[in-house]
Amino acid sequence: MMYPVLGEQLKKELMDILACPICKGDLVLNIVEEDEVEIKSGTFYCSQCKEYYPVEDGIPNLIPPDIRE
Amino acid sequence: MAKIEYKNTSVQFVDNVYEPAEDTFLLTESAFNYIKDGMNILEIGTGTGFVSAVLKNNFEVNIVSTEINPDAAQCARSNDVEVIRTNMFDGLKPIQCFDLILFNPPYLPTTDDEKVPGWINYAYDGGIDGCDAIRNFLDNVCNYLKPNGSIMLLVSSFSGIDYIKKMMESYGFEVYSTSRERYFFEELAVLYGIHKIKNLCKPVH
Repeated sequence: MMYPVLGEQLKKELMDILACPICKGDLVLNIVEEDEVEIKSGTFYCSQCKEYYPVEDGIPNLIPPDIRE
Repeated sequence: MAKIEYKNTSVQFVDNVYEPAEDTFLLTESAFNYIKDGMNILEIGTGTGFVSAVLKNNFEVNIVSTEINPDAAQCARSNDVEVIRTNMFDGLKPIQCFDLILFNPPYLPTTDDEKVPGWINYAYDGGIDGCDAIRNFLDNVCNYLKPNGSIMLLVSSFSGIDYIKKMMESYGFEVYSTSRERYFFEELAVLYGIHKIKNLCKPVH
């Protein structure tokens, strides 16, 4: 069995293990700002649920919109 | 902003975030005995990020954490912890890639009248018997653990140490009590469980 390698590039590889919190489906990442190590801001989109999840200050916010605030 | 210095690590904490306390320190100390360099580690409900920050600064490990409270997620991030804002495992693909998963759950038995306003309630509220978050954790954790991976769970006499040990065993874990300390009002323990039964994610009664 293959496992994701969480190594030096952890912060970007981390994006590979993130899922939509509602359907657990794949997310499409739209990067707004990044550096060599991490994604600073952007959005994840779940095409199944048609929901957007923001990345703010380097923190992916994977809380369903109705309970986010 | 207050700060704690602990094992080569400076951890900041802020209002509306659970402040590192005896339970936090006990889990951290216990983890030192089980962590090996190179491990992939997940911490659920990291709060200030104390446990993850200290482990990251003392071992060559890869640690990611989750946290539902936005103030806590930002606090953990400021403590150089890789954090995902999500409830428990919700925002993670069920990939069995972690060697060790740590959880200091909300364990106080809490009625609706006793709930605290705001996100900080997630740090305390264990439901009527104090075990709601622990059940949710055990229902999901094996989907994220490598075969023979292990978990470390902070438990309290408020929600029943032996009861939770049996609960873990029913999910296919071989369980060891690694630390047990009595404080004024409660006894705390860290239960270390190795997942022995492949693909068993539901309790066996």
